[in-house]
Amino acid sequence: MRFFIGALLAGTLCALAPAQPTLSPAERQLNVDSFEEVWKTVRDKHWDPKLNGVDWQAVHDELRPKIDKAATMEEARDIMSDMLQRLKQTHFGILPAEAYKEIDQKDEEGKSSAGDGDPGIDVRLVDGHALITFLAPGSPAAAQGVKLGWEILRIDGKQLAPGMAKVHAALGSAMLAELIETRSVIERMEGPIDKTVDVEFLDGRNRKVNLKLARTGPRGTETVVGKLPPLHFWVEARKVQPGIGYIHFNMFFEPEAVNSAVQKIMSECRDCKGFIIDVRGNPGGLGAMAMGLAGWFTSQSGLVLGTMYLRTTSIKFAVFPRPEPFRGPLAVLVDGCSASTAEIFAGGMQDLKRARIFGTHTAGAALPSLITKLPNGDGFQYAIANYISEGGKPLEGIGVTPDQEVKLTRHQLLEGQDPVLDAAVSWIHGQ
Amino acid sequence: MNRFYIARNIAIGAAVVLSFSLARAADDLPKADTILDKFVEATGGKAAYQKHHNEISKGSLSIAAVGVKGDLTSYRAEPDKSYTEIDMGGMGKMTEGSDGKIFWQNSSMQGPHVKEGAEKTQAELSAKFNAELNWRDLFKDVKTVGTDTVDGKECYKVQLTPADGSPLTQCYDKESGLMVKMTMTAQTPMGEQTVDSFATDYRKEGDVLMPHKIKQVVAGMEMVFTVDSVTFDGDIPADKFAVPDDIKALVNKTDKK
Repeated sequence: MRFFIGALLAGTLCALAPAQPTLSPAERQLNVDSFEEVWKTVRDKHWDPKLNGVDWQAVHDELRPKIDKAATMEEARDIMSDMLQRLKQTHFGILPAEAYKEIDQKDEEGKSSAGDGDPGIDVRLVDGHALITFLAPGSPAAAQGVKLGWEILRIDGKQLAPGMAKVHAALGSAMLAELIETRSVIERMEGPIDKTVDVEFLDGRNRKVNLKLARTGPRGTETVVGKLPPLHFWVEARKVQPGIGYIHFNMFFEPEAVNSAVQKIMSECRDCKGFIIDVRGNPGGLGAMAMGLAGWFTSQSGLVLGTMYLRTTSIKFAVFPRPEPFRGPLAVLVDGCSASTAEIFAGGMQDLKRARIFGTHTAGAALPSLITKLPNGDGFQYAIANYISEGGKPLEGIGVTPDQEVKLTRHQLLEGQDPVLDAAVSWIHGQ
Repeated sequence: MNRFYIARNIAIGAAVVLSFSLARAADDLPKADTILDKFVEATGGKAAYQKHHNEISKGSLSIAAVGVKGDLTSYRAEPDKSYTEIDMGGMGKMTEGSDGKIFWQNSSMQGPHVKEGAEKTQAELSAKFNAELNWRDLFKDVKTVGTDTVDGKECYKVQLTPADGSPLTQCYDKESGLMVKMTMTAQTPMGEQTVDSFATDYRKEGDVLMPHKIKQVVAGMEMVFTVDSVTFDGDIPADKFAVPDDIKALVNKTDKK
């Protein structure tokens, strides 16, 4: 009987749902082209040439007639999603064009509309709310009285919640959605230095505050690595308390600068009780730097953080110990925006039992996972390698689970606290 | 840059590559020692090689797929001293060298590292100055294993097996006698990596003909080394081949264990 009611309700809902617009011949062709692009990309770029044992040609031959007949965008997406689901692997999926637009802040020429300035705000999603977690000292936002813990509601008149919901629904994975949504919020505030951005906040007393924020140059120095757009890199190394060294950098680039900073704080902190490496918000970068960073904290030769499996080979992330490494307690701080090399480092050090991990679950985006635009406007996400951490678990789609989970709260942020850092400091003192 | 052992600059040494596509019976093929000796003659002759006791090469490295470029300087001296520096801008520096006893590598990204075991064996082989002339001392077995086609030209495939370590395969142009391809499996701490190297743009430096462009394919990634200048018997500072302090400290630590 319950089944019958369910079926009846489903029928009623279908009747109420707006009809999907019928596609023109040109739109149908774009869907066919997209289908072929997805199929060929997986065939040619998947790290496992055996495609997880799936007869990929048979999948093509079965589904191609269906895509030819697909009468709506939804049908076409379902068919392409069905094809990818046959792989039974994470990080392969189709994002509807409207969701893809939410995360792809590019103009029609393919250039980023982000510009080179920002109001000096960093954000994290806490229970679905975009909360301010960092204000650059002296930044336009700080100067106009914006505070930690305030929630961002709108940017340039556009409400955040609906867009984030679309991305969340399309990606399915809450971990990756957090990373992508957070980046999307931050990118929306970026733009030319000579233009302002309108931001609506919810302040500490739950009042809406509308501010026109100026933009300033991003924190750090510009670095150019290969074909990547110019990036702004910064590193800070200091003692957070007497006897506790702290290293924080925003991405795994500029290895010389990271080495200099680590070397300096090491020389000042030979007798330190513990060290903290903060990779919260760190999206990764040069994978080899995970090995180099690990070498500052172990004297044991032959250690491996994990192994990356590519289509034709595998690469062990071997650790080369420095001549005088730090052997005391090591804490690594992570969050939902710690990705790629940051996860390889944190996950590997956790597996080697060399570090205790604090914070929230990482993004689960350890692989070179790409999202490209298909001919029909949808987004296509696919991974081109597999990475297994030394403990035997894949990081892709799973991420690093902290040894000690510490979640941010709006209340703590409004109070100016950093509970994740506080937990790490407390643990070091207890060792 | 070692003409005979062209894979050395990315810290990868010799190794295995099985001969495949044996197009002709071995009896029809010229002997390997004839091919290897012909290479020496084709590139200037024994006397031209023996005239020189050290070599400084300058050039660049490019990885087009990721848009990375770098400057490369290599110093080599008799009998097995070497020092190579690659500056890759935002990716930092990579150096490697040998004083004839200690073989090492240091990368801004990965840190300092002393080569041991199979990796050291390969590094020892690749550090030999004028290895072209001394292949009889370096390899216990050489044999012609077939033919291949590189850039539309046929070449003889020669498999060289060192006294210690796994074999590598080199392909010598049938007409010119020049080496055009080498395939090896590099022994690295990150695991074994198959490396295909293609040598082109042979030009004379002094009396020696040498490749000025070497394309290497590793893990599906293509790297191109371009040689801009070569100086023989130049003034190499006395400490150029000295083992860096970081490496010395690692060696001392190992010795104490």
